Amino acid sequence: METAGQIILIPVIAGLLLLALPGRSRMLKGILTLLVSALSAYWAWSIYRLEPSMIRLSGTGIPGTQYFSFALDGLSQLIVLLGGLLGLLISVYSLRGINGPERFRNFHGYFLITLGLSFGTIMADNLLLFIFLWGILALTLYKLIPQHDDESSAAAKKTLIMIGSSDGIMILGIAILYQLTGTFSMSNISVEAGSALSYVAFLALLTGSFTKAGAFPFHSWIPDYTQKAPAVSSAYLPASFDKLLGIYFLVRISHDMFIMSNIMHLLLLVAGALTIITAVMMALVQHDYKKLLGFHSVSQVGYMILGIGLGSAVGIAAGLFHMLNNAIYKSGLFLVSGNLNTLTGEKDLDRLGGLSQRMPVTFGVAIIFALSISGIPPFNGFASKWMIYQGIIDFGSGPALANHLWILWLAVAVVGSALTLASFIKFISGAFLGNLPGRMNDIKEAGADKLLPMTALALLCIVLGVFATSYFVPRLFFPVTGEFEFYGVWQSTAVSVLILFSILLGAVIYLATVPGKFRRAESFTGGEKMSADRGFPSTGFYETIRNAPVLSFMYEKAYKGWFDLYLRSKDSILWMNKGLSRYHDGVLHTYLLWIFAGLIIILLILL
Amino acid sequence: MEPSVIISFVIIPLFAAFLIPLVGRLVGGFQRILTSSIMLLLLVLSVFITLQGPETITYMAGGWEPVGGVPIAIYLVLDPLSGFLLTIINLLGFMSVFYAISYMRRYTSENLFYTLVCLMVAGMNGVVLSGDLFNLYVFLEISVISSYALVAFGVGKTELEASYKYQVLGALASLLVLFGIAMIYWRTKTLNIADISVLLQHARHDTFLVFVQLILITGFGIKAALIPFHAWLPDAHSSAPSPISAMLSGVLIKAVGVYVLIRLFFNMFQLDTSLAIVFTAIGALSMIIGVVLAIGQWDLKRLLAYHSISQMGYVVTGIGMGMILLARGGDKSIAALAIGGGLFHMINHAVFKGLLFLNAGAIEYAAGTRDMKKMGGLARHMPVTLSSSFSASMAISGMPPFNGFFSKLIIIVAAIQGEFYLLAVLAVIAGIVTLASFMKFQRFAFYNKPEKEPTAREVPLAMRFSMVTLALLCLLLSLLIIPDIRQIFLEPAVNTLIETTEYATKVLKL
Repeated sequence: METAGQIILIPVIAGLLLLALPGRSRMLKGILTLLVSALSAYWAWSIYRLEPSMIRLSGTGIPGTQYFSFALDGLSQLIVLLGGLLGLLISVYSLRGINGPERFRNFHGYFLITLGLSFGTIMADNLLLFIFLWGILALTLYKLIPQHDDESSAAAKKTLIMIGSSDGIMILGIAILYQLTGTFSMSNISVEAGSALSYVAFLALLTGSFTKAGAFPFHSWIPDYTQKAPAVSSAYLPASFDKLLGIYFLVRISHDMFIMSNIMHLLLLVAGALTIITAVMMALVQHDYKKLLGFHSVSQVGYMILGIGLGSAVGIAAGLFHMLNNAIYKSGLFLVSGNLNTLTGEKDLDRLGGLSQRMPVTFGVAIIFALSISGIPPFNGFASKWMIYQGIIDFGSGPALANHLWILWLAVAVVGSALTLASFIKFISGAFLGNLPGRMNDIKEAGADKLLPMTALALLCIVLGVFATSYFVPRLFFPVTGEFEFYGVWQSTAVSVLILFSILLGAVIYLATVPGKFRRAESFTGGEKMSADRGFPSTGFYETIRNAPVLSFMYEKAYKGWFDLYLRSKDSILWMNKGLSRYHDGVLHTYLLWIFAGLIIILLILL
Repeated sequence: MEPSVIISFVIIPLFAAFLIPLVGRLVGGFQRILTSSIMLLLLVLSVFITLQGPETITYMAGGWEPVGGVPIAIYLVLDPLSGFLLTIINLLGFMSVFYAISYMRRYTSENLFYTLVCLMVAGMNGVVLSGDLFNLYVFLEISVISSYALVAFGVGKTELEASYKYQVLGALASLLVLFGIAMIYWRTKTLNIADISVLLQHARHDTFLVFVQLILITGFGIKAALIPFHAWLPDAHSSAPSPISAMLSGVLIKAVGVYVLIRLFFNMFQLDTSLAIVFTAIGALSMIIGVVLAIGQWDLKRLLAYHSISQMGYVVTGIGMGMILLARGGDKSIAALAIGGGLFHMINHAVFKGLLFLNAGAIEYAAGTRDMKKMGGLARHMPVTLSSSFSASMAISGMPPFNGFFSKLIIIVAAIQGEFYLLAVLAVIAGIVTLASFMKFQRFAFYNKPEKEPTAREVPLAMRFSMVTLALLCLLLSLLIIPDIRQIFLEPAVNTLIETTEYATKVLKL
């Protein structure tokens, strides 16, 4: 119980203190942040080791404590542990604060406040406490984008409007749940899907979880946020903590609080499939690498939702496992993008190239992350995606409509994975391969404080992938979902050994036969002159997709914001505003007319 | 407590209004110090009275005791609801007046300004304390007539136009109110609210009374700027000097509009379901149309003014739902929740909307414009204004940990509990649009790149003090969600409304 108090309060208090400190002592702030994060990680570990229990403060006699109840069960303990780990790694990366083009003073303060509140949100059992803490996280998310020009302030505004709106909608869901069950305690709520009210409550809470995690159609803040926020902020919130929270809550809703009906399963699966495919299609055509990563962090959510939407133990475990993996490789990728951005100052893939010579470590970890996210064995992304595929195949044996469509879900998941690989080839080759632009000749690799967390994340990608079935899945997820059988045969460790072996064998064959028997030649560029320092932008290859017959139409509409819920609602509200404003012409007669019309109308109604 | 204390809420500001033009002419700075100190005194007094506990104090002006149970004196009644309103009025009054110490130096005729402010406060205090209809009307006129003059205080073209419209529509409202009062007098032959309440006890489903109540809804609806009676508000509230805007939006529309309506509906008339539905519908309309009108505004103060309509809609919706439930004989605890949410939102709105108008004043003071398209880049130059306006913006949008979150939460939970699902959805939608329009304010005022780098500097100390205090209150009022604290400040006020007939019993000591 003390640990649970500490892990929430100490980071928040430390964060408030850091906000009060003057801006100059950035190194000091970084060290303090690191210390507090390390402590939190330790506390997270000890919370993970505790027996599942409920913590209530209502007995202490302090006013208002009846709302403060926390539940430590398998799920929340696991998420707290992951949060502690990711928080620690990111705080190492941000030790020296955010410099370069994204200079930002209050990062550390808001970082710590977010950390503590996230732990509180995850452990909260009372729904009112939950929505309270969850809502404050929206404010810190907003504060973690420094707003210094029109575009960054627009992104911040959009982010807070979307997240804040979903909070409002969640209040509605919570109120309905209270009406249905008479309690605010999550662990006591178990609603049978059936009445219209229960569906409304489900949808309302789902909106909150989808918006936080960034699933279609509530995803549109994420690409804007990642494009404009410093890379560390993106790695911290949209890439890892918002996923932890959003997916955590999704599991809570679909696993604990509602007894799911077939329609609900179908809904989740459709949302997951749409999220995967739309976001990855958008990612394919991006030039700004931070925005590209943003779309991918939307697309990956689709997999988690697919897994959780299956409703089976293996599905939920797969969804959670994918969330963990995604948090690792995606925050790794954002840290890579942070290195690229601080060292080169460029945001566009077209203007980068050949950096593998200058930044070998960054290049190496970027490849690991890219392979992971694209689902290449033996990395962790593959392990969880494979579990999702297994779950989908297993799911196909059920009787309902959603079950019969299993081949569709499987196809979307596999195609999405392929398209992810395609867009990461662009990212890797655009940034690291090809010719180095002349102006980037004196770029040096980032410092150890940046490389250390990235390397740790890359190692985690490998370890989690290699030992997935033999150690991590049973160890981490069986306590949450209960034990389950894997469908088909998959031994991650054995396969990894085989892969390693085949790579070695290939290398031996290559070394034995090929060396010395090749010649260097100019590459064929279709008769075009190559400019000396640019090379051919790798993004160019993807123009074909953009110009394909049906897709070009879709892309055109997407760029106009047709599929952005935010822009569509904004337009309709402003349209209503115009309509109503027309009757406010400032003429006194009109106003008098209204008053009398109002009076007459209510007289007619009542008399 | 000595009953005569309550008359000081009216006497002191009236006396100050008398002194200021006389002494202020001779002694420099007298008007500022005197007004601020009496407002502080009244604030302390009202908080002290609230902490005293839920008792009803009646003061009979002139000391005329009732004759044969018929009250003949002028009654001033201080019950928890009046105490609640008094706290709001004097809190905002003090903050605005203290803010004005620096702000109003740019204007001439400060003496007149402070005189009018004192008169307005005396009028509002009188309205919430008054125990009979005619005095209520007199105090109401004192406060609104001084507000007409205050709206026109800048004597520019727009100010005069706004004040003119406000006067015409305000006069119409006063006429309707007086008409309604006259009809009540015709029917009951008395003006004492408690006495009327006793006489009307058995008059259910009386068409005459329904007509009177509709006339009063229209009259006070104009004063409270509920849709469709709101048209004067955006002009008037945006044209007044900012501390006055804060008081008009923060308290005047509550004290002379919504307060009187709920006092009369709950404690004087018999509750009537269809009337309660009309009242709630007007509230819901105001809530949603007000906010849709607000989001397109580019004049900062106009945007805030339209939001006042919408936020008062929340208050009225909350209280109206309680009224419907009580009239139907539904669950009293849900009714109490709804009314409590409404009253909670009332004090919250006073604080955050007052603060927002003070922020708007600070921006106008420093950057010289109210047009959001011309602002921008103020974040670095005005940190206090930035952080206090962020608190207020988040409070009004209902984001935790600020007070607006909790009152909206209560209203939504009560709406669902009372099975007013549509109202709950409307409240959520209005909250979302509110958030969007305040994010617009934050973005365009503070973060956008302006055409040329602003030369604005942070405002003087007195203005900062008021803004910071109100911003802290935005946080502190969240504590009212805690039952033990709610019991002291909010529940007694709610109970005076729930126990509809208790008012007459307590006032007349039956």
